[in-house]
Amino acid sequence: MTSKKRERLDVIRDILQTIRQNREIKPTRLLYASNLSPQMFKEYINELISKKFISLDIDKEDKKTFSLTKKGQDFLQEYKVIENFIENFGL
Amino acid sequence: MNLYSFVIENKEILEAVYSLIIGLICAVIVSKTDKFFRLSLHQGIRYFRNSFLFFGLAFLARYIFGLSLGLSLTYAFVVQIAFEYFLVMAGFFLLYSLIWKKFESPKDKYFSSLFNTKVAIFHFMALLIAAGDSLWNDYNFMFISQIIIFSYASVLSCINYRNDAGKHQFPKFYFLAMLSGLCAWILNFLAEAYFEWNKWILINIGIINIIFFLLFLYGIIRVIKTK
Repeated sequence: MTSKKRERLDVIRDILQTIRQNREIKPTRLLYASNLSPQMFKEYINELISKKFISLDIDKEDKKTFSLTKKGQDFLQEYKVIENFIENFGL
Repeated sequence: MNLYSFVIENKEILEAVYSLIIGLICAVIVSKTDKFFRLSLHQGIRYFRNSFLFFGLAFLARYIFGLSLGLSLTYAFVVQIAFEYFLVMAGFFLLYSLIWKKFESPKDKYFSSLFNTKVAIFHFMALLIAAGDSLWNDYNFMFISQIIIFSYASVLSCINYRNDAGKHQFPKFYFLAMLSGLCAWILNFLAEAYFEWNKWILINIGIINIIFFLLFLYGIIRVIKTK
């Protein structure tokens, strides 16, 4: 169970890092980069949007891109601290 | 005048200051862990935060109790029940933060971690314990329940410490904190059952309790500094 939870946080970090590196990224490219199944990818993306870590931007030509929000940037900065906290406190 | 005599002579005011200090330590821990939880939505952090929220409420209630001893017996009685209820809830949440993965799947989503179907049993048991003690006019239910909770938590934190194998700094302090908590509850029980609330024992319990909270505060500050 521990590794499941750890993996989840790691996946979130990886997705956010990929978006940050690209500033804006298309859904298909992010799906490839995340190395997740389409179903899992959709779940994570929905979760990240609902947490307001990322935003989905649609331009006039109906092209979709993801970008990192301020909250997502904060999460990436705090990730190491949170990871340390969970491991140190056995949570 | 030695330190122990000074403490005994100024018992009421020192008890209020002591409760306020622990309440403040808890407020710092809750505010820091709440930030971690809001960013990660990690349930373990959520239950850990709840534990110190209840510890803080318990000592705040005790602080009020300490200041209002002379006001009304009924008021003091209600605050004392609140103190006991909050303290028992804190113990339940602290233990649950270590074992929640056995009972919840990552897909379980609760709107509130303070009131949901799983946590309802904590509220029920805490109320039962507080009511039982008030009926029997002692603290046996609380002491025994907390000794069981802290014994189990001590075993779990010992396992975590051994499994960590020195990779992190805090698991040994976490284990020490749990042992000090267990020690304080055993001493409380002994002081009530066999030593007629001996003041020397109570002073030492107070010191152990402060060590317990300071260890957790130290752990949080240390983790934040890793940034």
